[in-house]
Amino acid sequence: MRVIDLALKDLMQTVRDWKAATFLLAMPIAFTLLFGAIFSGVGNEDDPRLPVGFLDRDGGSVLSVHLSDLLNASDAVRPVALEDEDLAEVKRKVSDEELAGAVVIPAGYTERVLAGEEARLTVIVNEASAAGTTARNGIQVAATRLRGAVQTAQLAAQRYERSSEARGVSADEAFLLETLGKVVDAWEEPPLTVSVTHSAAGDQGEASEIGTSEDDAGESNVFTQSSPAMMIQFSIAGLIGSAELLVLERKSRTMQRLLTTSISRLGIIFGHFLAILILILVQFALLIGFAQLVLGVDYMAEPLATLLMLGANALWTASLGLLVGVLAKTEEQAVMYAMILMFVLSALGGAWMPLETTSQTFQTIGHLMPTAWAMDGFKNIVARGLGLSAVMLPAGVLLAYAGVLFALALWRFRFE
Amino acid sequence: MKLLDIAIKDLLRSFRSAFALVFMFVIPLLTVGLFYFAFGGLGGDDGFDLAATKVQVVNLDEPGSEYGDFSAGHMLVDLLESENLSGLLEVSEASGPARARAAVDAQEAAVAVIIPADFTGAALGAGSAAVELYQDPTLTLGPGIVKSFVSQIVDGFAGAKIATGVAVEQLVEQGVSASDAEALKQEINLAYGQWATELGEAHQDGANPLLDVQSTGDAGEEGTESLTQKILSTTMVGMMIFYAFFTAANASESILREEEAGTLPRLFTTPTPQSTILGGKLLAVFVTILVQVIVLVVIAALAFGVAWGAPLPLALATLGLVVLASSFGVFLTSLLKNTKQTGIVFGGVMTVTGMVGISSVFTASVPAASDASQVAHTLSLLMPQGWALHGWRVVMDGGGVSDVLVPLAVMLALGAGFFVIGVLRFRKRFA
Repeated sequence: MRVIDLALKDLMQTVRDWKAATFLLAMPIAFTLLFGAIFSGVGNEDDPRLPVGFLDRDGGSVLSVHLSDLLNASDAVRPVALEDEDLAEVKRKVSDEELAGAVVIPAGYTERVLAGEEARLTVIVNEASAAGTTARNGIQVAATRLRGAVQTAQLAAQRYERSSEARGVSADEAFLLETLGKVVDAWEEPPLTVSVTHSAAGDQGEASEIGTSEDDAGESNVFTQSSPAMMIQFSIAGLIGSAELLVLERKSRTMQRLLTTSISRLGIIFGHFLAILILILVQFALLIGFAQLVLGVDYMAEPLATLLMLGANALWTASLGLLVGVLAKTEEQAVMYAMILMFVLSALGGAWMPLETTSQTFQTIGHLMPTAWAMDGFKNIVARGLGLSAVMLPAGVLLAYAGVLFALALWRFRFE
Repeated sequence: MKLLDIAIKDLLRSFRSAFALVFMFVIPLLTVGLFYFAFGGLGGDDGFDLAATKVQVVNLDEPGSEYGDFSAGHMLVDLLESENLSGLLEVSEASGPARARAAVDAQEAAVAVIIPADFTGAALGAGSAAVELYQDPTLTLGPGIVKSFVSQIVDGFAGAKIATGVAVEQLVEQGVSASDAEALKQEINLAYGQWATELGEAHQDGANPLLDVQSTGDAGEEGTESLTQKILSTTMVGMMIFYAFFTAANASESILREEEAGTLPRLFTTPTPQSTILGGKLLAVFVTILVQVIVLVVIAALAFGVAWGAPLPLALATLGLVVLASSFGVFLTSLLKNTKQTGIVFGGVMTVTGMVGISSVFTASVPAASDASQVAHTLSLLMPQGWALHGWRVVMDGGGVSDVLVPLAVMLALGAGFFVIGVLRFRKRFA
């Protein structure tokens, strides 16, 4: 019971401070929303494709119109009409990342292409950026389809002229343009497509086939990365308060006074550990509840799996908090250690950015961190829609970390 | 001289503190070092070693005998397994669709490519077909690469079929004999195929007959290398700003520490004016940040190859950052009653304002982040750190003195405001 009394004492000291509550709850919620909003491209919920400037200097010609149609139908980019802007201004917009790229149809483009002369679209992108590369590829696809349509029309015209039915008469422009238009229209429902499907949790609806390289299969929830990431990061940051309590207890000689009571040394350690554990469990539970109810992150699709991950995460984080409190000699050191751990573990564990965007070496070393396993476990539930069996390994690794960290804390605990 | 004595005393205290040194230099460099490591900085001259994407392929294609030995499905599999793509893709053939999907669910593969039974038939004859990509929903890069290559092949077949179908339909409408339709199809198909092949060969030779691509970024010889450098540079400046503010807050805390320890009240009993004492302390904060920024700029340039920009604009950006960070630290400290409040307040306020202020740093490495960058940039300007980042990025993007004047003016104005409020509060407190 004294263990519980000690734990309750620590908890009361923590929750009396409104700043601690802010740090433990408000900040992870705020950052989950912030990062989720940033990576969802908020403000373009109806059309998340990359904006690409469309500057038509060919006077609304037939190829300009068809290119615009093909870009509109793209799954990667959406055209944004630019009126009477000069190239310098367009380049500035691309440099400032107002646009992912821009395509300029030069004057006389249609005339030269239909005459079989060389003519190229001008594309302005930042090839040093991922968005620029994606935009360029999207424009390339549309341009290839457009020129394929022109090639088809010209082939048909040439074939007609050679036929006996033509009797030496050239195919008129109307035939050419009609053929061109039919090819472009045919790309709206191509005969061969690529359909993208995900496992159950990645879809909000049935996977659908739209067209070649196009997919509007269920959109994955953008918070499936930021929700577990911020939850894990700020559970480590929240250890500052818990660790400071331990430091203060030692510095104020309260620890020595506790030792004169009937509580055992192990009881003192477990009392503090229990307080940290309860705090983290409550923090996780509230954040999971918020994500489930407000952000639509479906932790409750697999309640047992979520419970297991919640428990394993709380145990290793609490063990880490105990170790930080044990090692720190001053409040400053407690803050320093907790902050360093938060940044290093979050960065290496894939909380700031998905590990797939990093190098192979980094991914391998990242998975030596408990945070990477925590992210894997939670993402197995909320993103991949997997169940208990899929979180056994991550939870097992986290429990092993908890054991090691707790043992270290126990070994280093100073009662002086 | 007393002002300098007090400043030097505080400076010595700051630079002797392990805690301060860790926050000033170790953590920012460690964080950037992690990113340097994350994006292949230790990968030697080859640069960024993106992990190969594991792909499970299931080829169910059963071309009819009318197509001879040709199989569109085999062609797609051969492309994915080709030597050219071996660095990007790790392809293995699965026994069936269920096995392939299970491999993706078990994270043994990033994406499964399932080629339908009628793929060749749909490509060359009647009907339609869809190649299914079953992917891990948590991944984007690897499946995106696979989708890009698969789409190229599928687009090629679709384009040829559309071309053939429309051309023949148009010719029949013009009176060309329908009985020659099959021969027409083959003729058009062959001609279109030749055009597509020539286009593909031109691309392989490095030319682009369709687009004249003008890059606004400094792509260098390899785009990937520049992207890595961009990420590192952006991260370095973000971390430098983030921790400069932390350092300023920590350095300003000396006022509270001395107040609690009693040395500050004792100093006030001496003939040294209060303004000199406070001035010395504030000067120490200013110099501490200045030293921190200069050291980080030099180390980042030498160790990570960060290009900071022209000297004069760089000096102005440094001035703006030092003034703003110092004054924000003083302002924040003036709001606190004692050192017990500093831990959570500094940690909380600095973390929130810092992360929001430098949030655009986190979008540097994410594909398709153009709109995300705009959102992050707008939000960041609500924070003093955001204006500091804006000014530094202008300089690092090659901006001159005139380009940096606006962000500098904002930084100095904000700095003046924070400084005045902070000093007035301290004067009132110690009056």
